[in-house]
Amino acid sequence: MTRVTGATDAPRDGREVQRRERETAVDDTVKRILYVQTSGMEAPERSATVFFLATAAAAIDIEVGIYFTQHGPTLLQRGAPEALHIKHGGAPLSHFMDQARDLGVRFYVCQPSLDLNELKLADLIEGVEMIGGAAFNNMALEADRVICF
Amino acid sequence: MMDGQVASRLDCRGLLCPIPIIKLAKAVKAMEVGAVVEMLATDPGSVPDIGAFEKQTGHRVLDRSESNGVFRFLVQRTK
Repeated sequence: MTRVTGATDAPRDGREVQRRERETAVDDTVKRILYVQTSGMEAPERSATVFFLATAAAAIDIEVGIYFTQHGPTLLQRGAPEALHIKHGGAPLSHFMDQARDLGVRFYVCQPSLDLNELKLADLIEGVEMIGGAAFNNMALEADRVICF
Repeated sequence: MMDGQVASRLDCRGLLCPIPIIKLAKAVKAMEVGAVVEMLATDPGSVPDIGAFEKQTGHRVLDRSESNGVFRFLVQRTK
């Protein structure tokens, strides 16, 4: 099933409820950071920083999104985060991803980026949201900062 | 009343960024307004991180100190 941002389907869990609440409660005092992740499975050493920083931002009440483009969507492939270890003997990427999502960090992709990596939304982990180029640029303008990796 | 009392302790010694700040954020959300959490950390980055936490969240850092490489923070939930 294709997930549509802003759709009115029933919330699935607590995190989803929190997201919806945030969407409906427009608050100009909230700070927003949008991260852009361009590296994927081909570069493990470039895969984790975005999650560390996004998580730290969410922990201090900043509203955070990560847009995965170029090779980035490969990190979201089902099974991939569990298999990727940034450091030998360290925790898998899935650990850092879960940490981020647990604090409400949202993950976005767009169709051309999925096509580039021959992926479909159904191939990705749960809860990834589909946006388009216009929506991305709008999010960038509404964010206080955009940070690219 | 919980006000000003240390309600919980958070031992983040040996943990690296961003774990201490995540644990702090969760601990503060779980306690009552006015309550205080004591946090211990050894990552020197926790000092500026606590400052950022205070500035962005509005919760108050009542005290910060360091002894033998261990940083101690008292953080109060304000809202």
